[in-house]
Amino acid sequence: MASFSRIMDETRIAAGGLKDFATGLVDPTFRLGVTGLSRAGKTIFITALINALTKGARLPLFEAYAQGRITHAILEPQPDDDIPRFAFETHLDQLTATDRRWPESTRRVSQLRLTMDYEPVGYMARTFGSGRVNIDIMDYPGEWLLDLPLMARTYEEWSHATVAAARLAPRAALAADWLSHLASLDAQAAADELQAVKAAELFTHYLARCRADGVSLSTLPPGRFLLPGDLAGSPLLTFAPLDVTPDTLAEAGSLHALMKRRYDSYVARVVKPFFFGHFARLDRQIVLVDVLTALNAGAAAVNDLKTALTQVMASFRQGENTMVSGLFGRRIDRVLFAATKADLLHHHSHDQLEAILKLLIEDAAARAEFHGAKWDVTALSAIRATREAMVRQGSEQLPCIVGTPEAGEVIGGTSFDGTREAAVFPGDLPADPRAALDGSLEGQIKFVRFRPPLIDGATFPHIRLDRTLEYLFGDRFP
Amino acid sequence: MTGRNHDSRPPAAFILDEEKPAAKPARPEGRAKPRRAPRAMTDIVFEPEEVKGDLVTVPRSRTLPRPKTFRWGALLLSALTGLVALGAGLAITNLIDNAFAHAPWLGYTALALAGLVGLSALAIIIREIWGLLRLSRMEHIQAAAARAINQDDAAAADETVRELSTLYTHRADARWGLDRLADHQADIMDPKDRVRLAERLLVDPLDESALRIIARRARRVTLLTTVTPIAALDVLFVGVQNFAMLRELATLYGGRPSTLSTLRLARLVVAHLAISGGLALSDNLLQHLVGKGLMGRLSARFGEGAVNGILTSRIGIAATDVCRPVPRKAEARDTLASLLRELVMFGDKTEGKSGHDRDPNP
Repeated sequence: MASFSRIMDETRIAAGGLKDFATGLVDPTFRLGVTGLSRAGKTIFITALINALTKGARLPLFEAYAQGRITHAILEPQPDDDIPRFAFETHLDQLTATDRRWPESTRRVSQLRLTMDYEPVGYMARTFGSGRVNIDIMDYPGEWLLDLPLMARTYEEWSHATVAAARLAPRAALAADWLSHLASLDAQAAADELQAVKAAELFTHYLARCRADGVSLSTLPPGRFLLPGDLAGSPLLTFAPLDVTPDTLAEAGSLHALMKRRYDSYVARVVKPFFFGHFARLDRQIVLVDVLTALNAGAAAVNDLKTALTQVMASFRQGENTMVSGLFGRRIDRVLFAATKADLLHHHSHDQLEAILKLLIEDAAARAEFHGAKWDVTALSAIRATREAMVRQGSEQLPCIVGTPEAGEVIGGTSFDGTREAAVFPGDLPADPRAALDGSLEGQIKFVRFRPPLIDGATFPHIRLDRTLEYLFGDRFP
Repeated sequence: MTGRNHDSRPPAAFILDEEKPAAKPARPEGRAKPRRAPRAMTDIVFEPEEVKGDLVTVPRSRTLPRPKTFRWGALLLSALTGLVALGAGLAITNLIDNAFAHAPWLGYTALALAGLVGLSALAIIIREIWGLLRLSRMEHIQAAAARAINQDDAAAADETVRELSTLYTHRADARWGLDRLADHQADIMDPKDRVRLAERLLVDPLDESALRIIARRARRVTLLTTVTPIAALDVLFVGVQNFAMLRELATLYGGRPSTLSTLRLARLVVAHLAISGGLALSDNLLQHLVGKGLMGRLSARFGEGAVNGILTSRIGIAATDVCRPVPRKAEARDTLASLLRELVMFGDKTEGKSGHDRDPNP
């Protein structure tokens, strides 16, 4: 059964790949997978990318652009009729309005096509190429990404892992309500709709509490429980893990059977369409990781982030592209892992930040490399909200960042009202990245959120956005 | 502070009021290391050096270290040179004495001429030394650039960019690139990206000219070899043309070639050719096809000319690798194939109206 559904999945990818190949013959279209858990900065990255390319930002390291070979970049009318367009203009307005706000968290899928005309330099490209590249980018709630690992798991496996994790230290306190209800349930008893609803409700509560600011855990599937989108109240979302072992068999008519059926249809009707619609055929991938928020919350959050990243990245098809894979579904041949919000640190610490990120993604990167894909890490800030300064304190020079912290942020006993400018020293990142995972950093670093920068032109300052673009599609302008 | 192997300064905030106090922009002095308390660091785990992806190699291959025996040959040469100089000095002194004995005005003229000889000899020596110094400075930049690119070393990157900027300060064709580079000085970039940017702005524009120089010399060598009546003469021609090409290339990339430094450059180029030559299998094939095949059948002299032209091109490409201040990645290097387009171009006004510049295209 499992192998049959895998064959079906591969067929789906191949069929989509053929369609891509046929349309790509006219105008090369290129799918950029912007991957990141919720609040990693996907929306801001996409907004900044489009703004930079269409309004002519300073991108010295994006070579085709810096050489002036990209003659213009425009937003195409939305190509897919059943997906809403990415609200670029709205997000930009929010960022540049007088009260400068970051865009709100994404609640549904949206898509965008960026078209770039360029002057080809290679002989083949000049003779046969069209000098035009389409880049398709999609934005979606990061919570939904957490569902991808479910495709490879049965209900029993997922239940077992989730219940076991909930009984461990950082989660046990948050899961108390749900666990006590779970203890009162008998998996083999006759199915009771009300019990299922109650269990799902308590389970959802538990997931939501794990995500709160001070805790910031990441491995919280299923994602639609946190952000249901248009599925709110649907029976697809009324299931919860039961205390079963991976090899338990569900008896017909039992609560276990009911939960299992709903889990399977959740995977089949929610997760798979989402994956095959948007992630199965990517060309390049950028994985945005919010390391700093996890560091703020402590080692438990960082470890959890590592688990989530490893699980999510296992769902993507990476590897070298060949003639055949070009026809039947391309693979991701380049992955960039980016530690976002690098502007909350002085650039002296960027190397340490990259080292921590490298540690978090080591499994995912090893997998990508094994399959023949190239990967790299970078510290990125698509919109740079701060500038840097050295502040002398007594005999010590502290590398600080200067900007306007958001209202309500507190650091070292100072609280902010959202209007005052301040120089912030967030603490030193460890030279040994393993300190981020073993808990010895607790309370020694604190990153505050800053408001978007005041800009005088049409473009935002950034940190390494140009290098990121060069890595992701610098070779697509032959 | 805790006993971990990192320093841990507590997070802090400083409110900036109207007249911003000690906070000054970190741009130029951003490199200044903050003063940190001395402390012992234990159980540090060093990550293994990462070797990944596109590394560059410095083309210069130092010749093998000589065995440490006394160099009699060198002593002989030095002593001989000393003797000859002494003899020449004595002869000139005698000449001046004789001239004074003959007539005072003749003596003064001879003295003035001797002074001029001494002055120009001094100037030549200084120029040679300067040329050699410049060559070793280029080698130094190359090494720093390779270190910056391969190891992402911030200090080496800063040094490379600074040296490149001073190297090209007075050149009109680099003005635009220097301005752009200064624009991006304060941006936050990785060290290797900073070097790559400097390379793209300052060095890349020169590569095109380098190809043109090589192609022009190669064509000239082909023509001269083909039309020279005496076989021994073309050896001389090829030598002269190749040295001229070396000097041109070195000047293009910012060197100050003089006689000695050109000789040294030639030695480096030959060493580099010997190393990289084994890789250029396809180039050799082309050479056989052209020299012994079609061209040779048409006309023996023309075939030889074509081979000499190809040889010159290969020397030129090796010389580009040696002269270029920022070493190139393997796949970005010029090969004979990439030169072909330049070689077979008819559009060149200064050179080649006849068929000789079609040579390497069988």
